Amino acid sequence: MVLKKVFGGSTEQKVLENIKRHMQILFSASGCFKKGLEEWDKKQMYCVADLEREGDSIRREIISTIYEGAFLPFLRTSICRFVEIVDEAFDALKDAASEFEHLVPKLDKEIRDDCIEIADINQKMCDMLMIAFDTLFNKGDLREKTLAIRIYEKKIDDMKIDLISRLRGKEVKDFWEGKILSDFITYLTHISDVIEDASDYLHIINLSMR
Amino acid sequence: MKVDEIMIKKLESINADAPIYDAIERMIDKRIRSLLVKPRDEKDVYGVITVRDIVFKVLGKNLDLNKTKVGDITSKPLICVNKGVDVEHAVNLMTKSNITRVFICEGKEIVGIISLLDVMSAELIKKAREGHGA
Repeated sequence: MVLKKVFGGSTEQKVLENIKRHMQILFSASGCFKKGLEEWDKKQMYCVADLEREGDSIRREIISTIYEGAFLPFLRTSICRFVEIVDEAFDALKDAASEFEHLVPKLDKEIRDDCIEIADINQKMCDMLMIAFDTLFNKGDLREKTLAIRIYEKKIDDMKIDLISRLRGKEVKDFWEGKILSDFITYLTHISDVIEDASDYLHIINLSMR
Repeated sequence: MKVDEIMIKKLESINADAPIYDAIERMIDKRIRSLLVKPRDEKDVYGVITVRDIVFKVLGKNLDLNKTKVGDITSKPLICVNKGVDVEHAVNLMTKSNITRVFICEGKEIVGIISLLDVMSAELIKKAREGHGA
């Protein structure tokens, strides 16, 4: 009943639908990124920037609708912040795709396999974030969804440590080759941190509604 | 859920004649709790050394970490399951054998490992996804 009062209006519904669309686009962009890595196709990566732009315009629409009066004032900041965090995940993904375009030598198979696995977990995290968002308005335990996101994040964290220690021993020809590779790994592994932050915000929104 | 869906494919291994100190260093650096021990020769088989082995069999007995060799405390043979078996089967095996990790084999090759923590994480994720597709 309370949920219906808080989220039941037409502008609120419009915002919620757009937030879902925003996350769905993030999921698609993650899938596109993963495919680009698997096929080692730099042209495939262009779709990430396209989807990021689409995500950007939806984010602007969401924020405008909220400031036009959707939701009770105490909820507006949390919802806006959640949307902005999801947008940060888009930025990290776009940055990783952009660095990928400049990676000069093809990565060693072992390192590439790890990057593909991280990209796969990132996509699963996007999916879990959508599930967690749905749980806010439907029956379900939000805590178990955010725990699943934390489990995924921890896995990427462990892989990151291992990956970095192996990359330290890798020989690079010049400064830019090393910097691009380092930035690529940094952005790729940062996406999961941001999605975890977004799921934490869902928990805050859930608490504010009680 | 099959074991190969949740197994860790990256296996850290160590030589049987390496000192325990090297094993400890490797486990701390890689944040892992066990190492695969390579066979000494063609007649030998793979084994495993765990944090538990090091604490109970070396540290607990005040043995020298540099003089004691990995091979001295290695558990052999490995407890393996085939790649395509259910996680439930692996868990039953862990319960019966009172162990916390099982190796995954494909023929004679060791292709992965699952621990209780991996099983728990996978089950929690599965539970969180219930009713939301794969």
